[in-house]
Amino acid sequence: MLGKLDWSAIPFDQPIPLVAGAVVLVAILGVLAWVVVRGHLPYLWSEWITSVDHKRIGVMYVLLASVMLLRGGSDAIMMRIQQAVAYQSQGYLPPEHYNQIFSAHGTIMIFFVAMPFVIGLMNLIVPLQLGVRDVAFPTLNSVGFWLTATGALLVNISLVVGEFARTGWLAFPPLSELSYSPGVGVDYYAWSLQISGVGTLVAGINLVTTVLKLRTKGMNYLRMPMFCWTTLASNLLIVAAFPILTATLAMLLLDRYLGFHFFTNEAGGNVMMFMNLIWAWGHPEVYILVLPAFGIFSEVVSTFSGKALFGYRSMVLATMAICVISFMVWLHHFFTMGAGPDVNAIFGIASMIIAVPTGVKIYNWLFTMYGGRIRFATPMLWAVGFMVTFIVGGLTGVLLAVPPADFMLHNSMFLVAHFHNVIIGGVLFGAFAGFEYWFPKAFGFRLDERWGKAAFWFTFLGFFITFMPLYVAGMLGMTRRMQHYDVAAWRPWMLVAAVGMAVLTIGVICQIVQIVVSIRNREALRDRTGDPWDGRSLEWATSSPPPVFNFAFHPDVRGEDAYWEMKAHAKQQLLEHEEPEYQDIEMPRNSPTGFVCAFFATIMGFALIWHIWWMVILGGLGAFATFVVFAWRDHDEYVIPADEVARIDRTNLEERRSLVSMAGAV
Amino acid sequence: MSMTATAGRAHADPHHIGLIIEHPGPAPKRIVTAYGFWIFLLSDIVMFSCFFAAYAVLAGQTAGGPKGSEIFEPKNVAIETVCLLLSSFTCGMASIAADVRNRFWFYLGMAVTCVLGLIFLAIEFREFADLVARGYGPSRSAFLTAFFSLVGCHGLHVSAGVLWLLTMMAQVFAKGFRADILRRMMCFALFWHALDIIWVAVFSVVYLLGSAP
Amino acid sequence: MSDQTHGLVKHDLAPGEEEQHSVGTRILGYVVGLVLALLLTATSFFIAGTDLVWQPSIPVALIVLAIAQMGVHLVFFLHITTGPDNTNNVLALAFGLLVVFLVVGGTVWIMAHLNANMPPMDHIMQMRS
Repeated sequence: MLGKLDWSAIPFDQPIPLVAGAVVLVAILGVLAWVVVRGHLPYLWSEWITSVDHKRIGVMYVLLASVMLLRGGSDAIMMRIQQAVAYQSQGYLPPEHYNQIFSAHGTIMIFFVAMPFVIGLMNLIVPLQLGVRDVAFPTLNSVGFWLTATGALLVNISLVVGEFARTGWLAFPPLSELSYSPGVGVDYYAWSLQISGVGTLVAGINLVTTVLKLRTKGMNYLRMPMFCWTTLASNLLIVAAFPILTATLAMLLLDRYLGFHFFTNEAGGNVMMFMNLIWAWGHPEVYILVLPAFGIFSEVVSTFSGKALFGYRSMVLATMAICVISFMVWLHHFFTMGAGPDVNAIFGIASMIIAVPTGVKIYNWLFTMYGGRIRFATPMLWAVGFMVTFIVGGLTGVLLAVPPADFMLHNSMFLVAHFHNVIIGGVLFGAFAGFEYWFPKAFGFRLDERWGKAAFWFTFLGFFITFMPLYVAGMLGMTRRMQHYDVAAWRPWMLVAAVGMAVLTIGVICQIVQIVVSIRNREALRDRTGDPWDGRSLEWATSSPPPVFNFAFHPDVRGEDAYWEMKAHAKQQLLEHEEPEYQDIEMPRNSPTGFVCAFFATIMGFALIWHIWWMVILGGLGAFATFVVFAWRDHDEYVIPADEVARIDRTNLEERRSLVSMAGAV
Repeated sequence: MSMTATAGRAHADPHHIGLIIEHPGPAPKRIVTAYGFWIFLLSDIVMFSCFFAAYAVLAGQTAGGPKGSEIFEPKNVAIETVCLLLSSFTCGMASIAADVRNRFWFYLGMAVTCVLGLIFLAIEFREFADLVARGYGPSRSAFLTAFFSLVGCHGLHVSAGVLWLLTMMAQVFAKGFRADILRRMMCFALFWHALDIIWVAVFSVVYLLGSAP
Repeated sequence: MSDQTHGLVKHDLAPGEEEQHSVGTRILGYVVGLVLALLLTATSFFIAGTDLVWQPSIPVALIVLAIAQMGVHLVFFLHITTGPDNTNNVLALAFGLLVVFLVVGGTVWIMAHLNANMPPMDHIMQMRS
């Protein structure tokens, strides 16, 4: 009846996951109870859960990423403590638990922190920057978000029901095959990634179509803000790379469920084909993550230097070059696994070539700052911190791209330090910069600068204290994923790294405090004009938070830095109080399709993991029925009458006028 | 306020590369929907390419089991191919009928497409069932694993297409040729034609190249 | 998003959409496509089973014929042309094909190397026995 599921699935003998799971469960139930008791449930359902507004969905993506960041961060703290204490002892984490932790840490941080964070920011900002009212497929957007959330939910369920994979974040066979991992851990891993992968693919298709087909009047390709370009490149990579992940994991699942022989050791299966295919997705994936971050830095650096982005066209070219070359370097993840010198040399050279467009970008940011009037607000601090950190990470990357050097450093702590250096220093700093920069746009008030700066400095220093020692440990021969070790020379570096982890944690706490403090002082931090940073692109041309329709009129764009130019030219027109003729606006209706669909996907995923076949069929039928019901709808849009549009738009125009007239008086 | 600092470059086209064609604004829904689906199809083709790559790698790994030339029946494959080709044609006829709002020819075109699709699926199912019955199932060898997965993946797509086709017919029956339904019909036609393109690769690479002794 | 406001300006064609033609012309397009595709298919099946041509040329011929037939499908069934209103569709297709080529070609190349330098387990067993 319940497949493989029984009481032995719940790890009563392991206090750590059980207590952690209990705490999380109590927290979730507490929040739910609060929501129900205070009567917020109808609001939550109609305004957020069923929302197809790209801004709301973007916020929910970022929220999901932030919650999962805490989960993945706890895993990181546990690992650092383990490696600090497990010198000539077993530490406090048994091997099978430690292996689950490093696997979960990697999976969560890439798929459920970095991905939703950047996708959320892109969702929130790109339609605003393009001057349009929504993304191309609003309901699918909601489906994509909820499927991502389903994946995250399944990973967290594995904490208390069953186990997670012990195979590392990419589940290499033959270890991940049924004969070596008979438990449900790998199934949890694979199904949660398959389901959230569908969500990511949907988001990618949606954003590519939005950028290419939905732009306001005059928004030619070479007038798009840099963030839109990097969004385009990143989502093209999603569309082209995620099917590879889906196919590869499908092959692994066929091996595990139906006895196929793709990656087995018997019957002619080929283990190396998994490495090959998974990295053909895996390398584009890191550019999927970092390209949007590059876009965020471009916006931030240009805004806070008060200058147009230096070398806009070279930046576009570099972005698209990275988009294509990122598909030609995947072998550098397995230089040591038997390819000949010619193959290694070609992929090594390609890996070095891809550093060139990245270098172009760094110089462009530096030249944008050069001669600018720089304001070191929190987003700008993250951007400058990124430039310093990312160069170190990039250089160690070029070092690893040299095959002979890679033979020494492969799978060592040096590698661990390198990819944390680029992912924390690049993606996470970018996500934080975007968070601080666009928070006022999303919520209508700025974040507290003092706590924001404290968060930056603790995170920045904490990062270096944590990961520089790992480079050294790698040079001293320490391999990754060690549950315990006996080499005295490594110990001090592990201790320093643990101290660094503590500093990083303070940084995270500062960030939480910053949000709480800012919410409390929101009236003082209120952004009334919609343009708190003196911005340059169209998202600042509307109020904060923007009305549901974003713009009363599609803005007419005449050049790069669309809003900057409007500000310079429209001052007079703004003061003349001419009232535009408002028109009715059609917006897509909210729809529970995404949530219902994800509900059935959760049931189906869970049933597949535990081999509960009747439930699989139930979930599949439910998902199909949801789509048919959605396809049968007759009214998918509602009309906001012109009067309402006028009322909303006037309020914001008044604020802007008062600001402009004040500036005029000065 | 430092708004005027760079006002000079406002209208400039810094490189003066000549006439700038102003972007006309957001595209109509018909184009947006079809383009999004086009992007999805490309991602689907990338997914198929992985199964093709796996097949190319594993085709020689028969592990003592049968080789392709011992199990493929070119006559069946030829019938399957003709079915799919004709169904692509009738699907095209159905989309023309939908564009001119002609229900009779639409239903006829879709019905014939459906029947041809089902014949294709029946032949493929019989081939698979026959192989499994002879002990040549996908667990027999890596070659058969790759073969079943690649061809089966295409078969699953055709099955999904048939399901979609029936839903489309029901929708036209219930709602008529509404704009949103015509958009979906356009996506369905794209999907069906794309499956045919993939089948061209399947019969060439798997069956014809593989049946060489 | 509304269809009316920008009705006058020139937009790209949607993928799969034809230029404005009469129904007769459109049907004729599909007929030509069908005939060409059937011819190419028949040639493929014929060549695969024949002894009349130089045997090593058969795989090459089959691949060429397959690519030609995909081209026929793209042009006559999916209406992908080189017109300026089709640029976006063609560019997307080109990017997709580039990735397909890189993934399939790269995999075959890399795996051939790995197999040569580090044979799969059962090969090693066969060599020992």
